Amino acid sequence: MLVVLGAAFASSGSGFLNGANLANIGMQSTILLLLALPMTLIMLTEGIDLSMGAVLTLACVVLAAIAVKTESVTLAVGGAVALGAAFGFANGALVAWLGLPPFVTTLGTLGIASGLALVTTGAQSITGVGDDVGYFYAGRLAGIPVPLLIGAAAYLALHWLLYHTRFGTYVFALGGNREALRLAGVRVNAYLIGVYVLGGAMAGFAALLLTARMSAAHPTAAIGMEFDAIAAVAIGGTSFEKGNGWLFGTVLGVLLVGVLRNGLNLLAVPSSLQVAAIGLLIIAALVIESFKSK
Amino acid sequence: MAAVAQAVGSAAHDSGQAVPLFELRSITKSFPGVRALDAVSLEIRAGEVHVLLGENGAGKSSLMKVLCGAYLADEGEFFYQGQPVAIRSPADARALGIAVIFQEFSLVPYLSVAQNIFLGREPHGSIPGSVDHKLMHARARELLQRLGLEVDTRALVHTLGVAQQQLVEIAKALSQEARILVLDEPTAALSERETERLFSIIRRLQSHGVAMIYISHRLAEVFRLGDRITVLRDGRKVGSLLPAETTPDELVSMMVGRKVDTSYARHYCESPGEVVLEVKGMEADNGVSGIDLVVRAGEIVGLSGLVGSGRTEVARALFGADRVTAGEVRMLSRNREGGPDRAVRSGMALVPEKRKQEGLALIRSVADNVLLASLKRIFPRGWFSPAMGIGVANERIRQLRIATPGPRQMVQFLSGGNQQKVVVAKWLNADAKLFIFDEPTLGIDVGAKEEIFALIDQLVQRGAAVLMISSELSEVVKVCDRAYVMRDKRVVGELARAELSETNLLRLAMHDG
Amino acid sequence: MNTLTLPRLTLSAEFRTVAQRLLAVIVLCIALSLLSGAFLTVGNLVNVLRQAALIFLLASGLTLVILTAGLDLSIGANVGLSACLAGSVIQASGSPLLGVAVGLASGCMIGLGNGLLVTVLRLPPFIATYGMLWVVHGLTYWFMAGATIHGFPPAFRALGSGYFLSVPIPVYLMFVFLAIGIGFARYTTWGQEIYAIGANPVAARLSGIPVNRRLVLVYTVSGAMAGLASLIFLARLNSAEGDIGEPLTLPAIAAVLIGGTSLFGGVGTVSGTLVGALILTLVLNGMNLLAIDANWQPLVTGVIVILAVSLDVLTHKGGTAGR
Repeated sequence: MLVVLGAAFASSGSGFLNGANLANIGMQSTILLLLALPMTLIMLTEGIDLSMGAVLTLACVVLAAIAVKTESVTLAVGGAVALGAAFGFANGALVAWLGLPPFVTTLGTLGIASGLALVTTGAQSITGVGDDVGYFYAGRLAGIPVPLLIGAAAYLALHWLLYHTRFGTYVFALGGNREALRLAGVRVNAYLIGVYVLGGAMAGFAALLLTARMSAAHPTAAIGMEFDAIAAVAIGGTSFEKGNGWLFGTVLGVLLVGVLRNGLNLLAVPSSLQVAAIGLLIIAALVIESFKSK
Repeated sequence: MAAVAQAVGSAAHDSGQAVPLFELRSITKSFPGVRALDAVSLEIRAGEVHVLLGENGAGKSSLMKVLCGAYLADEGEFFYQGQPVAIRSPADARALGIAVIFQEFSLVPYLSVAQNIFLGREPHGSIPGSVDHKLMHARARELLQRLGLEVDTRALVHTLGVAQQQLVEIAKALSQEARILVLDEPTAALSERETERLFSIIRRLQSHGVAMIYISHRLAEVFRLGDRITVLRDGRKVGSLLPAETTPDELVSMMVGRKVDTSYARHYCESPGEVVLEVKGMEADNGVSGIDLVVRAGEIVGLSGLVGSGRTEVARALFGADRVTAGEVRMLSRNREGGPDRAVRSGMALVPEKRKQEGLALIRSVADNVLLASLKRIFPRGWFSPAMGIGVANERIRQLRIATPGPRQMVQFLSGGNQQKVVVAKWLNADAKLFIFDEPTLGIDVGAKEEIFALIDQLVQRGAAVLMISSELSEVVKVCDRAYVMRDKRVVGELARAELSETNLLRLAMHDG
Repeated sequence: MNTLTLPRLTLSAEFRTVAQRLLAVIVLCIALSLLSGAFLTVGNLVNVLRQAALIFLLASGLTLVILTAGLDLSIGANVGLSACLAGSVIQASGSPLLGVAVGLASGCMIGLGNGLLVTVLRLPPFIATYGMLWVVHGLTYWFMAGATIHGFPPAFRALGSGYFLSVPIPVYLMFVFLAIGIGFARYTTWGQEIYAIGANPVAARLSGIPVNRRLVLVYTVSGAMAGLASLIFLARLNSAEGDIGEPLTLPAIAAVLIGGTSLFGGVGTVSGTLVGALILTLVLNGMNLLAIDANWQPLVTGVIVILAVSLDVLTHKGGTAGR
């Protein structure tokens, strides 16, 4: 599908195949990738995390605030990741211990996170984030843009986690047959919470890239990004039920979304309609999938 | 596996063994209103295939659940190689090497065969938390080889056929050093070739000293595989024999027996009325085929057969819950098509087997449920009057003698028998002409059973037609005017009143003749 | 759990739920009047009623959807699109009536779309309406192209800001639709069928209830009510832009849940939703009066939703059948 879309845009000839443009897509997609990768795992457990965008935004605020105050990137990143992990833990605990439906629960935490972001900043952006942070977006290491390196590292890490560890095996089981896992004597709740914590923590880490890219933290920066993440995961072939999924598919999904947005941008299609297009794409992907499984 | 082979190898398949591998003594288990197991004793020897026979409800699954620790026995003892042991939880059973392969597998569809076998017990890799895939797959391959299963251990379980999945389950059990393997109707979903393969695997396991409890209805298999046969009936052990010492007929008569005598006497139908339901060559997407039936007004026609023979599927297809793919279904001389809403309008009623999941809205009141199928009929203009609804409900409560504090009581608080009456009331309100009852007295105590039968009798006296699916042979014999028998998803015979007996029913239902 | 384990009349159980919530309303009112002198003023109370009315109108259709154990996440976006379409039509044609028609039609279409996604494509409701949310959202933004519409004829504005006998018009609408809602849920066969579908969709189907048709109905109604709410919102704000509906989804869901309607289906009332809307509005109003930063509101609403869902799970998860 990616190839088809790429060809379609290239033939429209409005500067799509420009090398710089392609590199741009890659860089921008990294942030989405950092969200979509853990979202894949969450969806594999038949769950979902709608609060990721809001948590990312809040993490940006926290990161920027700490960076401005202490000038220490490490501290700032640490704070952001900790915050993300905390939200992840809240989500996971509500889903695992109280048995609340993930959809509505993370909708609630979405409200909480975005509310906190607005409140703590008074709806103002935090600017003046130093170059130390900005390096993570604009800089290069051995000639390769840092974000791409981070993206690759994240993918490799999660690939290892999902396919080479017990944690990963249990993620599939949580969605495929949770009872079987419980009967096998595994602490189901612990792993379920863990998946959400991972999501939150990675959202926290993604804050680094986003803040670096904008050199500031806007309190409404990433609202709605979870939608793109979910779309990427769904398009990439992970279903909402039964623990069926493919991590690399998510990477492709992210690229597809990135290409779509970029292409539509070049064609001067307003971003709002792009969102509509992505929505239709999700529905199409789901329909195809439901026919496959029939 | 090696340890097991060593310990038990010498005593493998030796019927002169002094101490049996495992023994259950005087196991008793009761549920409210029903005694599932009554002082059942069972002896299992290493390397033997011990067949467990019995009708539906005889106690086979209860016994197995006690054995694997899912149920706690009220009384009785367990002995492992002569030493007393306790089984209080699934973990205890696992520790003793008992593994049960139920009909619904506990496999994770999108994990590989090896991952499923070792779920929860994956071998550790060098990095903490990681899995040593090479080792896991090697061990899995070894296990599968021993079972003679040539499947790529990397294959995802959902891509395998049922037979292969079953073997993966067995491999899983073996990897936990199972010494006693319980197989519950293992050949139910297998083809002939797959069945042969299973048998050779069973023989191979026997030679390793693994004992197997084999639950099956297929007498041919019983005589082929079984080293010993134990027959259960009504929760009691009727006897244990060697296959050489008995015949299929004798086994059948041991399984059949006199049930609790009810004082209910049926007025059998002398002159049935018009044809209400006529089915010719029906096939449905749920697997049934070759279904031919006729039900006339005033008759109670039974539909008998073993569990899994397809009776519920026939009911669902007739009612439109599952799709009919071929053949003719005529209700009151009109072709019946479409879904349940059309069925109801044409005068059909279905009292499902799982009345709580499919027949009632438990959190709604008696009145709500009683009106469930007749809202349009009683309130044609669409305006619902709660008062009138209560009135109708009260009338039915009185008529059917439903024991409830009131029409507004939530149905989930009623007893099983009364819940069933509510379902019948629902259909009475819908003015149904054909009632399909699927196991009408399941989970209902003796006193209420009589009332239900009397109710069904009243229905046909008033001119309705009844198709009754029942697994209790004595019920079918006592209540029905005629009966059809199903086997392997087809109708294989019809018994008229004179021929109706438990023995005949069971013989037709099993792989006999 | 006390409402379920006592062998009392079911009607009473529902009544009790609403009565309990009403009690909470009274307690809140007392507390707020103690905490702030500005609470018990006519102006403030009228404001509270008007705001609650808006949320109620939006949430009333949602109640029916949740009664079937479904969910409609697209109502906020629905309000946005319907308001923008209606607003543009009013400006272009000068006719408020045409605008009203367009707004309602838009709401219905979106609702119908949801209904079809759920029944024909068999998508789980939360996914179907979530996808619809973004599609509608996108369409709205594209349609508006970043612009804002304002300035509507006074005849139309009366819908949102007008008074009749010194009571805001939206409040009248609230009572009208409360009556319609109660009438539908309790006094029509459709209403009874909807409760049955929520309580046990399998049993409902096997009892001859045309489940799919009723589901399409409730989603369409939910959309229609969103359309209606959008008109009132539009009239009140006297302007429209792309994101006006957005902050309404969470409060609407909160109102339904607080009102005692269960996400598991089959339990709940329209009057409960009204009380729920009142409770939520009072809490937010209290926050305003106590000069708490308005940015806290989505947060508080989120917390309330989680609390309400937790209560729902604890009360209703054990006692459902056929799930």
